[in-house]
Amino acid sequence: MEDVQVVAMLVRRCIAGDAAAWEEIVQTYNRRIYNICYRFAGSSDDAQDLTQEVFIKMYRTLPSYDHTKGAFVTWVTTITRNLLVDHFRKTKQDRMTDSMDSTASEHEDAQPLSEQIPDQSAPPDARVRSREVSETVHAALAKLSPELREAVILRDLQDMDYREIATVLKVPEGTVKSRINRGRAELARLLQRTYRQVM
Amino acid sequence: MPDRTSNGMQCHEFDTLLSDALDGVLSGAGLDRFEAHARTCKTCGPLLAEAEAGRTWLKGLTEVEPPASLVANILASTTGVDTQRLRTTAHASQPRVSWLEHVQASFLEPVWAMVRQPRFAMSFGMAFFALSVSLTMFGVRWQDISQISLRPSAIRHTYYNTQARVVRYFDNVRPVLELQAAFHGIKRNAPAEPGPAKQKDHKNDTTQQPEQKQDRNYSQSGGQVILAGDPLGPSVNDLPVVSVTTYRRFV
Repeated sequence: MEDVQVVAMLVRRCIAGDAAAWEEIVQTYNRRIYNICYRFAGSSDDAQDLTQEVFIKMYRTLPSYDHTKGAFVTWVTTITRNLLVDHFRKTKQDRMTDSMDSTASEHEDAQPLSEQIPDQSAPPDARVRSREVSETVHAALAKLSPELREAVILRDLQDMDYREIATVLKVPEGTVKSRINRGRAELARLLQRTYRQVM
Repeated sequence: MPDRTSNGMQCHEFDTLLSDALDGVLSGAGLDRFEAHARTCKTCGPLLAEAEAGRTWLKGLTEVEPPASLVANILASTTGVDTQRLRTTAHASQPRVSWLEHVQASFLEPVWAMVRQPRFAMSFGMAFFALSVSLTMFGVRWQDISQISLRPSAIRHTYYNTQARVVRYFDNVRPVLELQAAFHGIKRNAPAEPGPAKQKDHKNDTTQQPEQKQDRNYSQSGGQVILAGDPLGPSVNDLPVVSVTTYRRFV
């Protein structure tokens, strides 16, 4: 994905004070970091703030990056994940990540999320690229527990291999695979209530 | 996950191979055992289907576009605006400003804005009125000021005229000053007329002691006794008669 030597040179130029090198790093990685933050946090505003915080932290800790210990993208993703965990702890979102059958609203008689999602009759392959379905899957993803969510985001949305994910999450590869499987299955169960006829 | 054995494979082994099977890296005998376990196990079979469906849903999610201002915000929050491109853009868009315009923008305009405030405008109006009245009283006219020539010859001419006017003024005043000096001399030498003795009111004086207070006369020595009845100096009849004719010359 990245040429180690090229990235290492870019980082050295940036540490030396080359503003153009830093701008190139920002241009290269902002899209990836924004997408991770958006899928994990769930909102565009939070994703913007988190992406900005990631780059601020990256800018301050750039001299600590050692290219011999791992790829730059893994290092960047680790910073992103750590900030997302901090953000999650601050916002206490774990109360809202149980099941879609649990009410999203504080009112007891509010509709569960599975009933709020409109029933679709077309096959999923035809609808998966539509905006509405994407929003539905995005909403279901936000209902996963943070451990499962981050695992499936890194694997299925960022195409990272298991070893890199294990490095980022600081867990064994077997645990990574198990979380990914459970995350996928949980997401499917959440969406199955909506797209019952497809499953 | 319950750990049951089906077709020679336990459920935890199935869970470990599930990701590889979905990624397509599982093949051969391992894949056969995996599929056989999925068909017979009531727990792992649905798990395979759900994991595959969930993976399909997630793969269908496309990347979202970051906001256009995100990069600029990141650069501003990390390095400020001091980046190569933004610096070039800023210098290109900023017009050159002369020092006069800089002074005008930084000093004159703020002062002028303050002067235009009604509370200060009234004060400045009163000050201008007082200044114009003062100049009028001293005979300064705006027409004279505007007609002043600053050529060296004109300045030299004005200097000599002013000097001659001052000399003539003191020449004309000199006889008057001499007469004033003579008059003061005569007055100083004239004998002092005895005035009526002042009856001091001693009704509040309960000590019956003579008054200690003395008028101090710096023209008389302290040891000389002056009697009230004695004439001082020559009498008026002894003074010479001076006829004074005063004439005033105007410059």
